[in-house]
Parts: sequence; C-alpha cells; structure tokens
Amino acid sequence: MLHLFYSSSSFDFPLSLSVETLHVDPKLTSASASFQACQSEKHLGQFYTLPSAHFRPLFPHGLPYRYQQQVKTFNEACFMVRPPALEVISYLKKADYSKPALRYLFYGVKGSGKTMSLCHAVHFCYTQGWVVLHIPDAHLWVKNCKELLPSSYNSARFDQPLQATTWLRNFRTTNEHLLSQIKTKRRYVWTKRESTDEGRPLGELVNQGISRVKSSSDVVGALMKDLRLQSSQPGADFRLVVAVDGVNALWGRSTIKKENKSVDLEELTLIHNLKKLMKNDWTGGAIITTLSQTGSLYTPKSAYLPQELLGETGFDSMDPFIPVSVPNYSEKEFESAYLYYLDRKWLQHPQSRTEDGKKELSFLSSKNPSMLDRICGFL
Amino acid sequence: MAASLSGLLKPWTPRVFLVRWSRYNPYYLEPEVRKEAYSQPESELSAEEKEQRELKMIRPIKAAASGVTSSVFSDPVLSKFINMMMEHGNKVLAREIMTQTLENIKKKQVEKYHKAPEGQKEEIECNPYTIFHQALKNCQPVVGLESIRKGGKIYQVPIPLSDKRRSFLAMKWLITECRDNKHRRTHMYEKLSQEVMSAFVHEGNVIRKKNELHKMAESNRAYAHYRWW
Repeated sequence: MLHLFYSSSSFDFPLSLSVETLHVDPKLTSASASFQACQSEKHLGQFYTLPSAHFRPLFPHGLPYRYQQQVKTFNEACFMVRPPALEVISYLKKADYSKPALRYLFYGVKGSGKTMSLCHAVHFCYTQGWVVLHIPDAHLWVKNCKELLPSSYNSARFDQPLQATTWLRNFRTTNEHLLSQIKTKRRYVWTKRESTDEGRPLGELVNQGISRVKSSSDVVGALMKDLRLQSSQPGADFRLVVAVDGVNALWGRSTIKKENKSVDLEELTLIHNLKKLMKNDWTGGAIITTLSQTGSLYTPKSAYLPQELLGETGFDSMDPFIPVSVPNYSEKEFESAYLYYLDRKWLQHPQSRTEDGKKELSFLSSKNPSMLDRICGFL
Repeated sequence: MAASLSGLLKPWTPRVFLVRWSRYNPYYLEPEVRKEAYSQPESELSAEEKEQRELKMIRPIKAAASGVTSSVFSDPVLSKFINMMMEHGNKVLAREIMTQTLENIKKKQVEKYHKAPEGQKEEIECNPYTIFHQALKNCQPVVGLESIRKGGKIYQVPIPLSDKRRSFLAMKWLITECRDNKHRRTHMYEKLSQEVMSAFVHEGNVIRKKNELHKMAESNRAYAHYRWW
C-alpha cells in the first residue's frame, strides 16, 4: 500500500491521498513488482508501507529500538523513501555481478537515518530474493561479552557462543526459504562424533550451530565462507548481500577482558571471519555498511566522517568503497514526516497543528530525524 | 604606586549575581513572555493596556525565570508539576520523567486507537495533555480538614480550599503515591502513567484518598461552625 503525503504550500491543511493502492501479495514475486514501482525518484519524501508478511522475517534484528516501538504503536512499518537509499538501490540494480562485490558505506551525523537507509536497501535485496546476511550492530560483538571460550578450531582465538547463537537464530528466520535450497560445498567436522557432510542443505548447518552452542562461532565462520564461495561461482542461482551496521567496530578497540588482559580484535573468531567477508575478493553480491559513533568505543562524539571513525587500517581495508552521505531531512522530507505523524495521530498537542508549532518543531529538531521523533514523542 | 594599589581597594563583588530570588525592588515589573502579547497592533489595545505599555517603557523589568519559555508548547500546570517532582534542583531529570510519562500515555492510547474497530475510535482519548489535566481535576478535593483547638480538645473541621491549594494537593498526592506505594523496580514514568490513566477514569489510590477525605469531612460536618473565618 502506498501512502502519499503531499502538501502544497498555499494550503494550511495537509492533503493526504492514498493513491493507487497496489495489491500486495504475501508471495515475494508479485510483491517485488509492486515494490519496484514505488522506488523511483517521483516518490522521494513519501512513505512506503512494508507488508507485514515481510516485516516479521526480515527484521528480527537490525532496526533502531525507537522505530521498533513506533511500529508496535502504529501497527504498521513505514519507511520514508530518501535519496541515499534510492541511490544505493539504483546502483544495486545496475551493478555487474560478475565483478568483485561493491562496498557501500552510509555515513552521517547522529540520528540522520543511516540504519534506516541500510534496512531499506536490505528490504530491496530481500524482495529480489537475495540471501541476506545482516549483522545488526558489530559493536555488540566487541563489548560486554559475558562468555568467552577458547576456540576449538584455532587455540589462539576466542569464541563468543551467546552472540553467535542469537545471530544464527535471526539469520535462520530471515532466510528460511532459501536455506533449504543452497547446499554446502565442503565437509565440516565439529567434534569426534559430529560432522556436516558435503551437499547437505545450509539449514542443517545453521541448526547445528544453534543446538551445539560451543561450536556456534565456528558455524558462523563456515557459513560465511560457504556463502562467499558459492555466490562467486558463475552458476550460482542466488546473490549475497552483506549488511553490517557499525562497521567501524571491526577496526576499533574492544573492551572485552580475559583474565584482566584486554582481548585484541584479531583474537575473536566472529570479528576475524567478518573481516574476511568485508574484503572484495568475492563476486555475485554486494556489501552495504553503516558507520556508527553511538556504539563505538574510544571515539569522540563529534566524529562522523569515514576517515575519523574507520581509522587508518579500517579505511585502507575498506578502500575502494562508495561513500553515501545521509543528511538530515530536507524541507520536503520534514513536511512529509510531520504529515505522517499527524495522520497516525501521533502529534496530539493542539498547538503542534499550527504553523507556529511546526516552525518550532523544525527549529528544535534542526530537521534531524531522531530528534524530531523524540520531540514529537511527548507532544 | 598609589594608582595600582587603589585597584586592590575596590569592594569585593561576587562573579555570579543571583538575580531572580534576590529581593527585587517593588518598582520592577514582571516580564511578558508570551509572543501573542507583542503581535497585537495598536488599534486593538484598550486604554488600560496602552497605559501598561507606557509604564513598561519607563520602569525597569525583572529578569525572566529560567523555567518560563515563550514556546507555544509551554504549560504552566505542567511546569508546576515538574517543579514539584524535582529533587536537589535536578530539573533536567524531572522534565525527562515528565516527557517520558506523556509519551508512555500517548503510546498506550494510540496503540489502542489503531487496534480498535471503526465505531469505537472516537471514544478513545489520545491527547496525553487532556488526560493529564483531567486526571488532576479528578484528584482535586473539594473540602479539606483543619485541626482547630476549642475548649482544650482538637477537632478536625471541614473548611473550603482555595483553587491553588486544591491543585497543589492533587499534584502532591499523585507524586507521593507514585514514590511510596508502588513496586520499587518500576520506573517513575511507568508508575506515573499508570496512576494518571487510572485517575482519568476515577480509579486508583489517589482518587480513593480524595474520597476518604471527602467522607471524613462529611462525617465531621457538625463541627463546621467551629470555623471562624
């Protein structure tokens, strides 16, 4: 369903029309046709509603917390069509997938909508039937680790079973329909009695990781390697999208301590495998990432540019990448967000419906999406 | 040499002047914060208002308090409530709790609204401000009790309360109820929003306290003539 929020400057009241209610089927194929109709530059600033059949499997993790609460309150999930996400989607449509994977990086000030743009691009890939490897926040893997086990595969490294199992569970929810079709290419031996043979569906591998918590980090590594190798082959019938939020965590510092000695990032299996994925030596997919200062460790609050947050090593490893800047709302986008809140009965204060109130909102939030959301929360 | 030494002889004045709570000369006038008062054209003013304007051009004006704003969203009742909730001067925290309470109330109501069938949508009140004001009005007692000493004994005499006293009591009861009688692990905004929502429909502990006060006053009606003012 496409809601168009459109106000002309001469009128005081918003004109909200719901034009061309496209019938959205739960099945992916027909939904992708209607979804593509909505992703053009004519629809900049307007809201696109996610079908509820897509929302549950796609986003068990990865959305900002306040947005999840908003979805629960309004009983629907709406994304605003904004230029950064549209740009990345147009590149994804035109890219040559026989060449090495392109790396896209969303950057911007705090609260400008980087995670939402990432989720928008991921939803596009999901409708195209790609395999989605979405890491909700890489910072969560480098801090506050409750359990750290020495890795069974490589004795110098450390495993993080809890984080790995939660991630595998969410991965399974997202890619359920594709896991039974893709087969493993190698034989993996977990313990003396357990192994996964070649040619078994990937779903089995994932279930193995979830049930055997001790080897879950190794399962994650094996999964990433398998998917990477398979999508590179010319005969592969799927494409892989790797979406990482807070990618600057991979080259920063960690606060995990093992026996009062801080753990180096290279010694964590999950981070090691993720860094291997981020290299553009595989084909048949795309890597979409976001920078994030809020979760990052030992970085100043004012830093938001790629050079500052990735550091030297990070920038050199990510180079070459396509930086996409995510600015605050423009006038039109702010109008649209304001009208959306009015329509969903979120702006209740009588003064917020006046011109003066709107000007005050624009000033107080300085058109920053998250600040506008926080201010409209109590108005 | 005398010139440099005399610089040390000036009287000591503090670096920061506390202006607002010092005693202003009654000559000073109160500041006008509302934007609408300044956008009225000359013709709409009555004679008294013109006189007031003349006076303001001549007399000095007090500094505005930090709590008042010329924002269109400012609400004196809400500001008073936030000040009453504030502890150790931590206005930031008190305001944060208040905004979270309002957001919580609105969230619950809007969720109910979106899930309700078409016919019942108009009955659901979504505006947290109207809910809050109505809840406070519901909590206000009509009469209060005063201990009056007559003939060596102390009697609880029902007396009328001024509007200010009534609203103060309602707010005080709401805050103390939330601080003392709720489960200690819930957040203050959660406790407040539950209490406000129940006061809105005439339920909850604060309404019960108000009704008990009314009953006491009713039972002590015979002593009403002990009041001499």
